[in-house]
Amino acid sequence: MSGTALFPAACSGVIPRRTSKGKASSVSVQSLQAFTSDPYVLELAETLEESLPSTTPLPLPLHNLRHASSQSLLSTRWPSRRDEPFRFTDLSFIRQSRIVPVPHPSPASLTTASPFPRSLRRPPLRPLLPLSPQRLSHLLSQSHPRHDLFWSLNGIAAPDVTLIHVPPNCHVDTPIHLHYTPPHATTTTTSSSASNTMHLSNPRVLVVVEKGAHVEIIEEFSKANDDDENESSYWSNAAFEAVIGEGASLTHSYIQTQSFRAAHIKWTSVRQEASSSYKLTEVSSGGKLGRHNLHIQQLGPDTVTELSTLQLSVADQTQDLHSSLVLDHPRGYSRQLHKCIVTHSQGQAVFDGNIKVNRYAQQTDAGQLTRSLLLEPRATVNVKPNLQIVADDVKCSHGAAISDLEQSQLLYFQARGIDIETARRVLIFAFGGEVIDKFPYSSIREKVRSQIKNLLDPSSDSSSF
Amino acid sequence: MALSLPTHCSPTVAPLRRSPKPTLRRVNRRVCVASGGSPLLQVNDLRAKIVESNVEILHGVNLTVNQGEVHAIMGKNGSGKSTFAKVLVGHPDYEVTGGSVVFKGEDLLEMEPEERSLAGLFMSFQSPVEIPGVSNDEFLVMAYNARRKKLGLPELGPLECFSYLMEKLELVNMKPDFLNRNVNEGFSGGERKRNEILQLAVLGADLAILDEIDSGLDVDALRDVANAVHRILTPEKSLLMITHYRRILDLLNPTHVHVMDKGKIARTGDLSIVEAIEADGYETVSALT
Repeated sequence: MSGTALFPAACSGVIPRRTSKGKASSVSVQSLQAFTSDPYVLELAETLEESLPSTTPLPLPLHNLRHASSQSLLSTRWPSRRDEPFRFTDLSFIRQSRIVPVPHPSPASLTTASPFPRSLRRPPLRPLLPLSPQRLSHLLSQSHPRHDLFWSLNGIAAPDVTLIHVPPNCHVDTPIHLHYTPPHATTTTTSSSASNTMHLSNPRVLVVVEKGAHVEIIEEFSKANDDDENESSYWSNAAFEAVIGEGASLTHSYIQTQSFRAAHIKWTSVRQEASSSYKLTEVSSGGKLGRHNLHIQQLGPDTVTELSTLQLSVADQTQDLHSSLVLDHPRGYSRQLHKCIVTHSQGQAVFDGNIKVNRYAQQTDAGQLTRSLLLEPRATVNVKPNLQIVADDVKCSHGAAISDLEQSQLLYFQARGIDIETARRVLIFAFGGEVIDKFPYSSIREKVRSQIKNLLDPSSDSSSF
Repeated sequence: MALSLPTHCSPTVAPLRRSPKPTLRRVNRRVCVASGGSPLLQVNDLRAKIVESNVEILHGVNLTVNQGEVHAIMGKNGSGKSTFAKVLVGHPDYEVTGGSVVFKGEDLLEMEPEERSLAGLFMSFQSPVEIPGVSNDEFLVMAYNARRKKLGLPELGPLECFSYLMEKLELVNMKPDFLNRNVNEGFSGGERKRNEILQLAVLGADLAILDEIDSGLDVDALRDVANAVHRILTPEKSLLMITHYRRILDLLNPTHVHVMDKGKIARTGDLSIVEAIEADGYETVSALT
């Protein structure tokens, strides 16, 4: 426990949390315009930069991150439905809104069980080794393979970076809980809460799990407590990056229950060194748009990657998972389970799951399964599970199933005296339960179970609404 | 517990027929009770087809089961035995095209499958479906509460049901961890059959239809199942079993044995029919009308 450092700012422990300030002075909008064809993106970038409080000197890692991100934005367009990654995902409601950046990141409250905060307050026995600015900079600013707009927007607009650094062989046995509440929460009374205004936040987290270490992280994006009507409109553009060292492991839980008028766009980018393990369990049910971009890059052999996702569309909303897993080394093991439930005629789910088994990734064992339940006429799902295999000695499987509930299962309930509505409810819930059961903590499982139960059957218990 | 059933048969007189295997016969005393029973199930000229292919499978089945009687239906593969059972519980794959079924004085065909169950009709599935994500105890509690609700009794929480479930579990000779497993998921053939009987034990029934409950069971498991059925069904309850094998008939001692052929009941008699079938085959026995 004592060896774990947790810094709210990327630069170092001496900079107080959320006070690292500065403007990326190297970027000027005038010079950008000469290279770009999308004025809207530039305008947005300018708004974001102006919103950042200016303080010098800007820590090196943040400076480099912003520089790289603004360079990338020069050649990035706002995506349209003609772009393959956004073919089924409508972003126009964001574009039509007036974007008001929140000058500080959404308040991510950090909670852990009792032993952990002690190590924050009291210096541990041996001096902590904060990552050097150069190494941090290297970890943060590596340009992303996809040059994604939202990744770069987060890069220029993140006011600071929450760093979770787990030193070698340190096992953190209580989970670190990152709780994000909506960015508008503090500014609801201002005139800017007009109907077409979206408050934008860009929280960013970097997790470095050193060789042989282990940590469990829970990321929770919820709606505001007072968001009774589910009415608030905001845009959460979060980025989560993790580097998992040799033999290290990261267990990642991600729960998204934001407002039905919100846009939730999230990047998770993970690099896995040899013999490392990454396990992600995701349940997403909130947002008018929930988009998760998940990218996992294998950096060494014998990695274990397990991804389990449940998406729920119970309103006029889109849940979208774009995942890519790139295997470049031998004997990787991966399992991906994607499930979605669409219970609304205007609800939609999108899944594009790509697994690349490249030339040197021999003896890879990769499995991918996507299953969708469409419970209303015109409910839509677009799934594209895809495996690209170059190596010749591999075991790979993938499958996709889209269905209503099984008639034979419904009859089994009825034949035992259980009415069909109850049977349907239980079966729908059980379908999602397979993913919920993978959360490593019973408290999280119970919480998510009751959230999902309420969404599927609002009459059962309205306490959480 | 309002729905709990007596776990032992009340002693009555000896069975009417002599039996070649007297072991269980000694506890099977339902036979004389049966003789004066009132009609429980009356099937008259029942015709049914497969919805998807429009093929008619049942061509006019007639059968009456009185209270306390034990019936067995035998017949070669494809003769319509299982279809008959499925039509009785309201399987949506089949459509009734003619005839009537009266159960406890009510039109069974007008009822939804769950209403049939709540009215006291139970069928054990030949191949029970797996239900991932739903645990056995959750399922049993749900079904048990549906029954309690029907009887106007308050529903019980999982903990309140626990001792009741444990008692029934013992009846089918299963370990308690059986309750934590998902319904039929990864069950062996024998476990599935026992699970069906466990459900029968928990829910009770006025008429239990056991569709090939004996197939895939070893000798010991079959004895367990037969014992459990004996203890679950008091002399007033009725049993209709579908089987290919003589062993379970010797254990459960039917009062009536029917031979089904080409979607009809071709012959009815007592256990002596079984001997004729074993000697001459279904073709010959069915032809002897």
